[in-house]
Amino acid sequence: MSELSRRSMLFGVGAVALGLAGCSTGGGTKKASDLSGNSADSMTAYAVGDRFKAGKPLTFTTLYDDNTNYPYNKDWLFWSEVSKRTGVTLNPTIVPYSDYETKRSVIIGAGSAPSIIPKTYPGQEVPFIASGAILPVSDYTDLMPNFKDKVAKWNLEGDLDALRQDDGKYYVLPGLHQDVWPDYSLAVRTDVLQKLGLQTPTTWDELHTVLKAMKAAHPDSYPMSDRWSIPTPGGNLLNLLGQSYGTAGGWGYNNATWDPNAGQFVLTAGMDQYKQMLQYVNTLVQEKLLDPESFTQTDDQAKAKFTSGKSFVISTNAQELVNTYRPALATTIPGATVVKIPVPMGPAGATKMGSRLENGLMITKNARNSPDFVAMMQFIDWLWYSDEGEVLAKWGVEGVTYTVDPAGDYRFTPDVNYVGLNPKGTKNLQKDFGFMNGNFAYGGATKLLDSMFSAEELVFQKAMGARKTLAVPPPYPLTEDERQQSTLWDTPLKDYVTQQTLKFVLGDRPLSQWDAFVGEVKSKGGTSYLNLVNKAYQRYKGKKG
Amino acid sequence: MSSTKTADLLPDARSPGGGGTSPVPARRRSWRQSLRRDWQLYTLAVVPLVFFAVFRYLPMIGNVIAFRQFEPGGSVFGDHWVGLEYIRMFLNDPTFWDVFTNTLVLGLLTLVVCFPMPIILALLLNELRNRYAKRIVQSVSYLPHFLSVVIVAGIVMEFLAADGSVNSALHAVGHAPILFLQQPGWFRSVYVSSELWQTVGWGTILYLAALTSIDQDLYEAARIDGANRWQQTWHVTLPGIRPTMITLLILNIGTFMSIGFEKIMLLYNPLTYSTADVVSTYLYRMGVVSNNFSYAAAIGLFESLIGLVLIVSANKISRRTLGTSLW
Amino acid sequence: MVGRPTRGYRVFQVCNTIILTLVVVATLYPLVNIVARSFSGEGYINAGQVNLIPRGFNIKTYKAVLHDSTFWTDYGNTVLYTVVGTAISLVLTTCYAYVLSKRNLRGRTFLVGVAVFTMFFSGGLIPNYLLISGLGMRNTIWSLVLPNAISVFNLLVMKSFFEGMPTELEEAAAIDGLSTYGTLLRIVLPLSKAVIATMTLFYAVSFWNSWFGAFLYLDRPNLFPVTLYLRNLIAGASGTGSVGFTGSDAAQAAANIQSVTIVLTTIPILAVYPFVQRYFVSGVMIGAVKG
Repeated sequence: MSELSRRSMLFGVGAVALGLAGCSTGGGTKKASDLSGNSADSMTAYAVGDRFKAGKPLTFTTLYDDNTNYPYNKDWLFWSEVSKRTGVTLNPTIVPYSDYETKRSVIIGAGSAPSIIPKTYPGQEVPFIASGAILPVSDYTDLMPNFKDKVAKWNLEGDLDALRQDDGKYYVLPGLHQDVWPDYSLAVRTDVLQKLGLQTPTTWDELHTVLKAMKAAHPDSYPMSDRWSIPTPGGNLLNLLGQSYGTAGGWGYNNATWDPNAGQFVLTAGMDQYKQMLQYVNTLVQEKLLDPESFTQTDDQAKAKFTSGKSFVISTNAQELVNTYRPALATTIPGATVVKIPVPMGPAGATKMGSRLENGLMITKNARNSPDFVAMMQFIDWLWYSDEGEVLAKWGVEGVTYTVDPAGDYRFTPDVNYVGLNPKGTKNLQKDFGFMNGNFAYGGATKLLDSMFSAEELVFQKAMGARKTLAVPPPYPLTEDERQQSTLWDTPLKDYVTQQTLKFVLGDRPLSQWDAFVGEVKSKGGTSYLNLVNKAYQRYKGKKG
Repeated sequence: MSSTKTADLLPDARSPGGGGTSPVPARRRSWRQSLRRDWQLYTLAVVPLVFFAVFRYLPMIGNVIAFRQFEPGGSVFGDHWVGLEYIRMFLNDPTFWDVFTNTLVLGLLTLVVCFPMPIILALLLNELRNRYAKRIVQSVSYLPHFLSVVIVAGIVMEFLAADGSVNSALHAVGHAPILFLQQPGWFRSVYVSSELWQTVGWGTILYLAALTSIDQDLYEAARIDGANRWQQTWHVTLPGIRPTMITLLILNIGTFMSIGFEKIMLLYNPLTYSTADVVSTYLYRMGVVSNNFSYAAAIGLFESLIGLVLIVSANKISRRTLGTSLW
Repeated sequence: MVGRPTRGYRVFQVCNTIILTLVVVATLYPLVNIVARSFSGEGYINAGQVNLIPRGFNIKTYKAVLHDSTFWTDYGNTVLYTVVGTAISLVLTTCYAYVLSKRNLRGRTFLVGVAVFTMFFSGGLIPNYLLISGLGMRNTIWSLVLPNAISVFNLLVMKSFFEGMPTELEEAAAIDGLSTYGTLLRIVLPLSKAVIATMTLFYAVSFWNSWFGAFLYLDRPNLFPVTLYLRNLIAGASGTGSVGFTGSDAAQAAANIQSVTIVLTTIPILAVYPFVQRYFVSGVMIGAVKG
């Protein structure tokens, strides 16, 4: 490159002038109420009880969260049945579940997002509001009779208020539950308990005792090795513990937690309860009761340990218990039995946290400009919120996957199985038909949910149902500027707390440094973030009067 | 850094100072004459120039979104000016300074370890008399260079897993297993070792080429002066490959900031962010994952500018003090 | 360099041999270990007892991965991207390098500067990402092959090679009335087989190995390259469930599916490596020796 003179470098810079025009799409969004020109192929009179049917065959694009336990299949009955009933073909973009949050951002950021973005938990929509990529769906609920009907019937208006931003609108259509119902807990090997003469643990302290006894009998093993740590380390375990201790952790972690006594939000990572929770987990790790890999290993690794008999306690939900643990244990350890125990209780007592709002969907802003926008909203209303849509998404097709007996109860057809409800069935409702695929129709009436529970799951639900539901925290709607600023503090702060949490838990940082840690959290934007949240809350309270 | 970027230096190494080797035409032709004579050549350059304009220079201009508000689906150059808002934001962002420090530390460690090792290995190889043995060592040590970073990351994970080779060796000497990939304290060692494993062999190529081009008469003269092997290495060999060393060093310094993004992406996790998170991974998370494109672009622009400043100053210092430079 | 080796030098030779042997061992050990794991039974793997030789020989995981249609789809994609990408890159790089090698060409300094400046300053991840998205290239092969069509390093190697060719041949061709295109095609390229072979290899390896572009720009699994298949395994994004394991097979797969996939992905490179590595070396040498 001897002739590479400084002059040629300048020429290189000069080439910047070759800039081409940007590729602008966009175009302003029309006034929310003006739907003329967006009502093609919709139904003029669409109401509760009606089946949505498009005027001509339509295709709507949707993001799809692909679960490795029942991987996406384009030939599923679910897709063809939806088309048959409504004339709508869903065109999914498939994303593996552990990358779902990242990919969702990537795709929305690229401006090429599908119209429908399901599996979005309330709160996750916030970064996309600031960037203007998603629709304020609250402007369009008039197109959704079933949604409005359920909100009114189950008295969910207050819950929805928590989703409203400072402009008074909300940007995510949540899944709606009639009641709070927990699904996730711990799976315990009951045959091991019996052999050691132990009772099923009902509190975290009892779990500690049980694990100690297991360790004594199997000194070479970690009695508990956990899963669901990607992308959130200790996602389930810390979430359960957080609730039991009156704070938040894992999947449920938020930087700000509502303190009802003080009447304001406090930094979650600065709460004494949070410290106590870490103390507890740290003890488990120190005593070699909990596998330190629990917080980073893949689900496959954790499952392999549990199903090969190396560990005896693992996180679970109703599905995994029946679909994964039991079949695998049946082949490896004859006589092994495993149950999902009611969530162990902690200092907060017999409570359960939870919102009646489940994950739901966002709508991409561009979809608003489509001539079929109204048809799409009606379709969404039908599939996610109508009784018929919910039954389709969950149970499938009458006569093919289920039958209704004279008493009105749902039964699977003889060859269809789901979470072991019909062990003789050779076909799997999820894997082979694509129902209960985790993207459509979360929530629903308690009766519908219960209908899909096995007897043992009903026992679990009954035990959990008896606990007191904690009040949902009040809303703190943010303005646009606040949102942009808050995402800059929120995410790094979460990362930092996650990281330090694990250090404390794994003993890499002694709990004697707790105060220093709280100071770090505050200086890393914690104080500013909290001020912003509390300011927004006060403003909201003032408005409400 | 990957050696594919570094290897173009030998031309300079061989003509330090960039003396004009191109024969300058006696009389400059006018543009009109040139076009008439060489229009076919120019047509060959059109498509590549479009490539550079679109995929290299447009993104540079795209950095204006660091000063403009960007809306997904809108113009790639942003929608309206916000001035230095985003610059101010990241300068006040404590996390940014953490990752900046991490970048410097990891970059320096990599430089200190991965820059001299190929030189040493090349010198050792050069002393190997058996040609077959030499070829075997070369072939084997080049191999990791051809493996995808995904494969290397996979190998690192398997190798350092609780049931992996390293821990079984630790077990054999009675040490408790170490979870290397979960401890921030280990990340830098793991990263630098894997980088060394992958690059050291391939890095020797340029030095070996430079070694063969050293004038044998110089060794002869040194021997006559009574220099032993070590003195010959010190006084003849090292000065002989010095231009290569310097050009490689300058380029290494230039890519300091953009270190190992893809490998870190694969190897880090929230547990090791405190040492593993670098500027490029942070801006990826802030930009692509959290949709703060303008903010991330501001950080990216800062990173690119530092890289440019580093390489220009390294080049300048080198030209002043050593008389060797890239341009 | 003849001369009577001194005692110190002989000691050095012994040490040197030992050190270089260790280098070879350290380079190969992780690779052999992965192969050993890929053929081992889960019990031995989980107990950390697999080092250089497979223990509890087991090829269930191989069978399953080889029966996974996704794996083959992804493998096919990788081949497609590599072939198309390499072809485009070769054409563009050759054209531009040929132009740059013409020392008397007016504006050459500018043309060189355009390319070389990009080595030292780049737009960065975010603008690139927005650009590719804005051009509507997401979920197409173009998002992977076009942004990397010209590597400036390869360009300079080729330029050096062309500059080193005797000018007489081209002058003779010009006298014979061949156009520039004709000269390039009929005279220059046939004499450039070595450098073209090298460039082919350089580009092919980089396309074969790339993953991040695919991770960022491809949303549909049927477009993924095999590197992404492997990445999703090691990052826990996909699991043994997606490959269709159940029961005890799942435990076996969980233990070594990553090793198996690493081996299967690396095989093509390992298979051609012994035959082509000298071309790689000669390629760098071309850049190095020709001024």
